[in-house]
Amino acid sequence: MSKKLIGILVAIAIIIVGGIVIYNQQQEAVRIEAEQMAAAQATAEAEAAAKAAEEAAKMAEEAAAAAASAMDAADRAVEAAKQYAGTTITITWEAGLQSLDPLNFSGPKWKELTGIDVKVVEIPTAEMFTKTMQEFRASTGAYDALNVIPAWMPDLANAGALEVLDPYVDKYGFRDELQMIAPTYRDNQMTVDGKIYGFPDDGDVFVLYYRTDVFGDPANQSEFKAKFGYDLAPPKTWQEFRDISGFLTEKFQPNMYGAGFFREPPYVMYMFQERFRNEGGKFFDPETMAATINSDIGVRVFTEMRDENKMMPPGVETWGFVENLAAFLNGQTAMTISWPPYGRWAAGYGLEQEAFSWVPKSQVAGKVGYALPPGGHPQLAAGFALSVASTSKNKDAAYLFIQWLNSEQTSKQRVQLPYALRDPFRTSHFESAEYIGRWPEAKQYLDTLKAGAETGLLDLSLLQTDKYEEALRQAISRLWAGEDPKSILDQAASQWDATTQEVGVDAQKAVYGSWAAKSGAYPR
Amino acid sequence: MTQTTTSSTERLVAGRGIGGFGERHFKYTVLAPAIFILLLIGLFPLVYSLIVSFQRVTMMSADTSFAGFANYAKLFADARLWESLLHTAIFAAIALPLELVLGLAMAQLFLERMPGRQVFVALLVLPTVISPIVAGANWRLMFDHRFGPINQVIGWFMGEPTPILWIINPLTVYPAILICEVWQWTPFMFLILLAALSNVDKSLTEAAEIDGASQWRIFTRIVLPAIWPVMAIAILIRGLDLVRLFDIVWSLTRGGPGTMTETISYYTYVQGFSQFEISYTAAMAFLVVALLTVIVTLALKRMGIAR
Repeated sequence: MSKKLIGILVAIAIIIVGGIVIYNQQQEAVRIEAEQMAAAQATAEAEAAAKAAEEAAKMAEEAAAAAASAMDAADRAVEAAKQYAGTTITITWEAGLQSLDPLNFSGPKWKELTGIDVKVVEIPTAEMFTKTMQEFRASTGAYDALNVIPAWMPDLANAGALEVLDPYVDKYGFRDELQMIAPTYRDNQMTVDGKIYGFPDDGDVFVLYYRTDVFGDPANQSEFKAKFGYDLAPPKTWQEFRDISGFLTEKFQPNMYGAGFFREPPYVMYMFQERFRNEGGKFFDPETMAATINSDIGVRVFTEMRDENKMMPPGVETWGFVENLAAFLNGQTAMTISWPPYGRWAAGYGLEQEAFSWVPKSQVAGKVGYALPPGGHPQLAAGFALSVASTSKNKDAAYLFIQWLNSEQTSKQRVQLPYALRDPFRTSHFESAEYIGRWPEAKQYLDTLKAGAETGLLDLSLLQTDKYEEALRQAISRLWAGEDPKSILDQAASQWDATTQEVGVDAQKAVYGSWAAKSGAYPR
Repeated sequence: MTQTTTSSTERLVAGRGIGGFGERHFKYTVLAPAIFILLLIGLFPLVYSLIVSFQRVTMMSADTSFAGFANYAKLFADARLWESLLHTAIFAAIALPLELVLGLAMAQLFLERMPGRQVFVALLVLPTVISPIVAGANWRLMFDHRFGPINQVIGWFMGEPTPILWIINPLTVYPAILICEVWQWTPFMFLILLAALSNVDKSLTEAAEIDGASQWRIFTRIVLPAIWPVMAIAILIRGLDLVRLFDIVWSLTRGGPGTMTETISYYTYVQGFSQFEISYTAAMAFLVVALLTVIVTLALKRMGIAR
């Protein structure tokens, strides 16, 4: 009995415990299910929220993009720069007329638009490279933005003094407008090893200026044709130049001479580079990197340059930029070659401004024609690009300022400032109706600048370019002193070779190869 | 009183015993900071330049590795360097005697009392107070072939325009620089020698005159020995200045035509600030220091002013 009772009790206990276990399991299953359902619901809700947020962000992005597409690069730069209001950026600029652009126009306007102050450090051209390098080596961060002559760019970039601009260009949407810079400047004066280090900002190019009244005079035309057998017109070759210059000098001196050029070595160095290449000369043997400026072509160019001085006013060997300008504006010379500002000033454009008190009043306004120098491939002499200093503490603000300066909108105004010496460098500049209306012959002027930009030749740009240029400057100085052209150029070539050895033949060969491959290195 | 004196003596004796070392070296302790600062300012740049001259420092590269004597070896192969030293020597050899003779003559002239003497002396000294770079720029205008008065005056004498290219023509470029240099620094000689001449004992010259000595004999036997110490210092100062000739060359010719008028200072500047050859420039500086040390030592011995 008792055994039966115990069995029943055990069975009951087992049933109760089993029931409890089963109940608990069921409860747990329900709880887990509930939790899973809650989690699933939460995930779904989160996903929905994220999706909504993503859609909202996408919409905002689309809205921003739509708004941005309505703005140009200048406006974008201004909008982005407002976050730096109250700061000051420092930019280097060539001393003199050039710097009146940021001092009188662009600096104050940028401040008004963004609240950023612009401090302009004026530096004479000859010292700009030195100062830039000195500040870089000392890591002072004294300069935020820089004006850089494109021929220096490899040296400055290799030293690490310039900030690579590609990330900024993409960040602030400037790539499209960069494409609108005239191809010669865009393709040749912007990059080193494929990276952007500066924005070409000055369409410097040599132009032949000639007196239309003298060339158009029927008596001059008939006499010239009778003597030389072809029409009196702007010279297309240096032989024609000598014919015309000699003819006019013989006929009109001492009141007027056939031509006058600046003859100070820093300027003539560019004229030699241009003429030497137009005549077929090459600077180096691309295989050995031996200098070839002392070739027959070089010696001939040097000899002709020296002999042509006899067709120019006495003492022309001492002429610099100003003396040459004064002679042409006073009507003492019938032809000259120089940078674009001569054309504007000869037309009298803006000369009433105080900044031009040193420029003689033009006696030849309305009588000046524009043409490409003999050879048809003018030197894109010097020029300027805008860069950001790698040691700057305000890189974004500095970048935005140069993007704004270089943009379609702002640059179009800047190249029309009579005093600022920035010459047209964007395709739109050459076609600007506003610019064309500035003086009666402005269209011909802009067409000539455009043609020059299309066919122009780059300054030689190597590692330690200045050492090569220094040798050329010395050679020119000795040429005017009457030394033998061949021996002068032999010595200059040996100086070039010594510099190449010093820099390293292979390193220089690579840089020269890269330069020579550019469209503007040699006439094509 | 006696008590006080005794106490002071005791204190003094006690002080000697305790702080004897400090007292013995008191003057050195006081001088030490000044000497240290002078060494820091004067010697540190010199030592640093010496170190740099054995490195490969150029502004174009971050390489500052040890170069040994490479920069010094380069000096001997650099023809332009030795030419620039030669040009400097030519300028010094011509300008220094000219400035000395003219300065002495002018000082002799202004030794006597004359009406307006002070005004004339003040006017004559003016060129010396002008910055040499400005003097060079002014002379560049004076030598201008078209607007410069020099060519104009020559033209009057010649009876026709004479466009001499003073700073282009190899025959006239040295005279142009020398004229500017002598114009600017003769007054310095004049002023110093005027002061020296004023201090010559008049009784000696008057006695010699009474004894029948000629003016030349009086000058060479009495005046010159009397002013020699001052004159020697003036020669030394101007000689060293001429070795540093830079500003006038920079303003007038930029070392041209070619490198014909490059002086050692000008060439050093070109190497350092145009070509960025920092280590080589330092080596050049040490070469000049070495040469000057030898020359100045010899000159001091010769002039008898080193005693």
